[in-house]
Amino acid sequence: MAQTALEARAELDPRPLMIGEQDDGSLNKSILDFVWAKPSKGWWALFLLGMAGTGLLTMAISVTIGKGIGMWGNNIPVAWAYGIVNFVWWIGIGHAGTLISAILLLFQQKWRTSINRFAEAMTLFAVMQAGLFPILHLGRPWYAYWLFPYPATYHLWPQFKSPLMWDVFAVSTYFISSFLFWYLGLIPDLASLRDSSSTRLKRRVYGVFALGWRGSARHWHHYKIAYLLLAGLCTPLVVSVHTIVSWDFAVAILPGWHTTIFPPYFVAGAVFSGFAMVITLMVPARKVMGLKNVITARHLEAMCKVILVTSMIVGYGYAMEHFFAWYSGNEYEAHVFKNRAVGQFKYVYFMMWTCNVIIPQLFWFRWFRSNIYVMWIISVLINVGMWTERFVIVVTSLQQDYLPSSWADYHPTWVDWSLFTGTLGFFGMLFLLFLKFVPAVALSEVKELRHELEHARREHPEHAHENQPVMDLSEMEGAKP
Amino acid sequence: MPSLKLPLWRSVEEHAGSAGLDPTGPSPEFAAPVQPVTMDRRSFVQLLGAASALAASAGCFKPPDDKVLPYTRQPEEVMPGNPLHYASASVLGGYATGLLVTAHEGRPTKVEGNPEHPSSMGASGVLEQGMLLQLYDPHRLGFVMNRRTARSWHDYLGSMLEKARELREKRGAGLRFLLEPSSSPMIARLRERLLDLYPLAKFSTWSAIPLQQINDGAQLALGAPYETRLDFSKAQVIASIDDDFLSSLPGTLPGMRAFAERRAPGESQNRLYSVETSVSVTGMTADHRLRARPSQVVSVALALAARLVPQFASLAPQKLSADQSKFVDALARDLKRAGSQSVVLVGPRQPPLVHGLVHAINAALGSAAVSYAKPVLHDLDAGPRALRTLTEEIRAGAVDTLVITAWNPAYGAPEDLNFGTALSSVPTSVYRSLFDDETAARAGWVLPATHTLETWGDARAHDGTITFQQPLISPLFNGITEIETLAAFLGEGDRSAYSQLRELYKDRADDQLWEKWLSDGFIKDSATPAEKVAVRFDAIAALAARPAAVASVGYELNVIPDYKLWDGRFANDAWLLELPCPVTKLSWENAALLSPATARELGAVQGDLIDIGLHGPPAHAPVLILPGHADGAVSVAMGWGRKGSGEQLAENVGFDTATLRHSDAPWFAAGATLTPVGRTHPLALTQQHHVMEGRALAVFTTAALFKKEPQLLEKQRGIPATAHEPHDYSHGYKWGMAIDLSRCTGCTACSIACQAENNIPVVGKDNVRKNREMHWLRIDRYFTGDDLENPGFVTQPVACVHCEMAPCEYVCPVNATVHSDEGLNEMVYNRCVGTRYCSNNCPYKVRRFNFFAYNNDYSDTEKMVFNPNVTVRARGVMEKCTYCVQRIERVRIRSSVEERPMRKGELVTACQQACPTQAIVFGDLNDPASLVSEWSRDERRYDLLYELGTRPRTAYLARIRNENPELA
Repeated sequence: MAQTALEARAELDPRPLMIGEQDDGSLNKSILDFVWAKPSKGWWALFLLGMAGTGLLTMAISVTIGKGIGMWGNNIPVAWAYGIVNFVWWIGIGHAGTLISAILLLFQQKWRTSINRFAEAMTLFAVMQAGLFPILHLGRPWYAYWLFPYPATYHLWPQFKSPLMWDVFAVSTYFISSFLFWYLGLIPDLASLRDSSSTRLKRRVYGVFALGWRGSARHWHHYKIAYLLLAGLCTPLVVSVHTIVSWDFAVAILPGWHTTIFPPYFVAGAVFSGFAMVITLMVPARKVMGLKNVITARHLEAMCKVILVTSMIVGYGYAMEHFFAWYSGNEYEAHVFKNRAVGQFKYVYFMMWTCNVIIPQLFWFRWFRSNIYVMWIISVLINVGMWTERFVIVVTSLQQDYLPSSWADYHPTWVDWSLFTGTLGFFGMLFLLFLKFVPAVALSEVKELRHELEHARREHPEHAHENQPVMDLSEMEGAKP
Repeated sequence: MPSLKLPLWRSVEEHAGSAGLDPTGPSPEFAAPVQPVTMDRRSFVQLLGAASALAASAGCFKPPDDKVLPYTRQPEEVMPGNPLHYASASVLGGYATGLLVTAHEGRPTKVEGNPEHPSSMGASGVLEQGMLLQLYDPHRLGFVMNRRTARSWHDYLGSMLEKARELREKRGAGLRFLLEPSSSPMIARLRERLLDLYPLAKFSTWSAIPLQQINDGAQLALGAPYETRLDFSKAQVIASIDDDFLSSLPGTLPGMRAFAERRAPGESQNRLYSVETSVSVTGMTADHRLRARPSQVVSVALALAARLVPQFASLAPQKLSADQSKFVDALARDLKRAGSQSVVLVGPRQPPLVHGLVHAINAALGSAAVSYAKPVLHDLDAGPRALRTLTEEIRAGAVDTLVITAWNPAYGAPEDLNFGTALSSVPTSVYRSLFDDETAARAGWVLPATHTLETWGDARAHDGTITFQQPLISPLFNGITEIETLAAFLGEGDRSAYSQLRELYKDRADDQLWEKWLSDGFIKDSATPAEKVAVRFDAIAALAARPAAVASVGYELNVIPDYKLWDGRFANDAWLLELPCPVTKLSWENAALLSPATARELGAVQGDLIDIGLHGPPAHAPVLILPGHADGAVSVAMGWGRKGSGEQLAENVGFDTATLRHSDAPWFAAGATLTPVGRTHPLALTQQHHVMEGRALAVFTTAALFKKEPQLLEKQRGIPATAHEPHDYSHGYKWGMAIDLSRCTGCTACSIACQAENNIPVVGKDNVRKNREMHWLRIDRYFTGDDLENPGFVTQPVACVHCEMAPCEYVCPVNATVHSDEGLNEMVYNRCVGTRYCSNNCPYKVRRFNFFAYNNDYSDTEKMVFNPNVTVRARGVMEKCTYCVQRIERVRIRSSVEERPMRKGELVTACQQACPTQAIVFGDLNDPASLVSEWSRDERRYDLLYELGTRPRTAYLARIRNENPELA
């Protein structure tokens, strides 16, 4: 079964998913060594940076909760700003994880195996950042639990008509299932770590988390079924979470928000930003951690292609919004889109188009898809671009709606910036801890892939050359001395 | 500077001075600093009175002590939770406005107009509403000071005792009184009696906004300073020459009502022309408006007189621009056509000549709206002229004792008089003041004053009706009334203001009648009668023929009374500071108003700081570009830039205009220089976008167009097509509001009335700059027309419109905003978690958010201002207009106790109650006879943002301009 898909792909893309003659031992070494090795100075430097960001976040949260939302730049009419922008941005970033884990698994895209753990962890940590904002942006965050339908003594329920209510379910479901998916996938690797532990303590700790995994056929049988089922369950989430997030806007009657194109355009945008973030994180990580052999040019190039496709969907969305604004003849809608292009935040709008639509077009060319430096820069720009997109949607729509008397400018404060950079730090810190304590690449799946590749070579020696390294990754890194 | 410590005592023992001896008394670390001997006000006045009585060997009788009675009805009527209403009055510029004050458990919480009183007719203005907060201002002066040191009443007594004896011997030589403008019969009596006792004493009156030029003009035109009374019900064509009679400032309320009554389109709709330099509320309401520099305003008046008054036809023709000539010609023809149904008004700032011309024009037109009466003020000369006389006397050393009860002359006096320095040189000066202000800093003795709502007193209304001031509460800050201050010098310091007042009216009223007067708030039919006058055309013509020398260099300066601070006396009132100016929408400061062309000429943009130079040191002012302002002129509002140490909110907010005002030309001056200084200053504007972008929001049209197409608005009202079955509201009450834009002048009285009623917090300048103001009811002001230099104006009060299909409700995740079965969009504060989604989804953006804990830092006295029937909102909670649900419920309770339905007119919202032009009505839409139903059926009715299908319960009635076809 797996072989057929593999062979079919091989015709189109002969480049390797794994470089060199690998065996289970060498894979174990390359993937687990980073966990067992003492953290490098670079790791510590980044970790301290992440800690600093986390400290900044803690301070900004304290200020927000201690003093009030007034510490942010929000006003009336711009009652939502950085809080919601950051929320949507982080949630969007999380999408690559689910997509890679669930959908690509169901479609048997083998190239996902080396990057899924990475992407899932990123999802998890991104959703954690995202989850902070809906609570922090409340006027009275200590009552956030009122958004849950709990059996209150005064028989009050949340209002199920509100998209924010749906958000609560969507995001919490998303977090829980992403966590389970990630953790389930980790179990065999945790067992590997347990088995290769050098000290008793490590063995104990990893042993607890490995949940008694022994690698028996029965275990593998149950594991595979559970993994596939979870993948099936997670698949709708890829679409649903960002659809529901987009409803926060689309369900409102605000010009610029009230549009039916939002769900697909948000989902595409989310995948777009998620893949960009995977590249942003993976390109340096694979180099530092010596994972070039398992995360190959083919992986990166595949992600660039996904980015190119989603970029065009997003671009289509932007264009259509403007088309609708004109074609509908709705003066309010038309004004909002005009304001985006010429108003207070015209530069942000310009950046949105440039970063999200124009620059990703470079991925039509293989050179850009295979130069990891260019790729990395573009991925960072896309992250910036997607943040500006959410900013444009949230802020510029609110700025100038129906009654010109209430129109106003918006100016973020230091607390807004601190919260945003703080979550970047917190995210980075969590990610570094992840790299340090668990294998960043799904070891068991890579081993399975190696096994399948070897099997295929043995069965079909005439195709053997197809899985030979025709191009070494080091060759592609042309700029490297 | 010596510290100002309020003499405090916490127990009777401590008060008696035994602190330290009593082992149960405060421990040494809590001991009060060494205090002067304390004595309460009552003991002080008693002693002073007794002493003066001895010194004067007169005034032997000693009436019993009167308790200051805060209630006119018996205190046993006080039921916790049930507010009581008392008639009282505010007095500004000497004229009384009858008030009805609501008190909860003995603390006044809301000021309304007295519906029976001729100066109010139930309405109230911005200042009347705002003065309530001043009562509770913790910055008020609460103790006696001498030369900046806290002293006791006893000390003051000791000092004044000597003085009174000395003055008595000198027959009052060197004794001067500087009083607030007054029409009070009580003050008149006291003045007479003081003059009997001190024949050489002199009284003068000071107001920074005097009516001196009106009186000079009347003197010129009528031979005596008659007051003009206007009856707008008899005026079809009204021309205002710089007269801001629609701005809800003192004395304007009945005129606004009568004007608005004839605003509905039809045969009787009046037509208003306005000639002015800056944009005023009246100018915004006018059907035709001519902008003109101050000097040109005089020319326009002359040109108009030449066209309308046969005796003036020979006046030299004025140099007018083509636009101005066209305007004046059309206006003159229109006035002539309307004949006796027309009237010309002139503002108090205009020179006597213009007043004279207007008297002549009205006489020539035979205007039925104008009548004349004897003035009600004691001193007509209350301006810089009177103050100069006094100042010169002080400089000459002729003044030994100066008693000031006028408001803050050291601040308001034109710079050239240097009154402050003069005051410092007076050997003995006494100043009665609410605050430790600029004058208090220079006066010898400073006595804390009572607030209007703590005062017994009387005054006449604009038509002469005798009106009573009743205290609602015992003085919170040990204040003393003006009556008591003066009576003390008569040796009657031991008598309360009440007993003085009662005695004055003893002959005219027995106790029963007296009580009726007090509970009515005024004496019915006590207005002064109209007089027959003859206009002296020759005298006016003679003056008009003499050309006034006008320097044509530089910019012309135009000083205007502030819409919120008046002459500055309300400068420490946070409600008023934060209330946006009706014209500029500027809050918390004043600015240099310039026309767009003038700003371009200076190379200045909005918010640039400029120096305005004229006589003395320049004033630093931020530029505010006001389309419609006359070119080549700059307008500045007075009352700002305060420097008194007691008024902490007002300190250095805005800039002072005193340096620009010369005693010869307090209002207008030519030759000002404007110099950009190259710095900017962000303005706290509550509205930053001023055009409607072609949207039908504040709908306006001309009478002619509307007559042609009355169905114009049909597509803007009613229930839009919907797939949803609309909820059936036809049973029970169905609350709705209607706002007539034709009647609305944009004066903002409703906005501050709403603030007072609904415990709306003040957010401060920084938060206003961040668009976080909390006013539930705002007045949107849009510029109309294509001419950016000279636009039209339309104002629109916007509060929550209580949509039947409310977009805010379905987006709230916690059900904190829900719909009542009577159609109210209700806000459940304690359920709100503050997602602010409701505000995002509100197309009217009427929701207000507590970005900070705005209600946390109130002083103990300020807390007393809260309406106990309205929740004080916490931080992080959304709020908005409730249609005054607390008032609905109160009436519902009353009606259900009496087992009857609510009656028509029983229920009024705070905005409706305050509105001087009755532009707002509220009531039951299920009752076809209710006014709100009637207005909702009007052909001018439309729904704001109808196309969104929100089905607002607040209906708007389009503004119809009564255009003169000649000027169209």
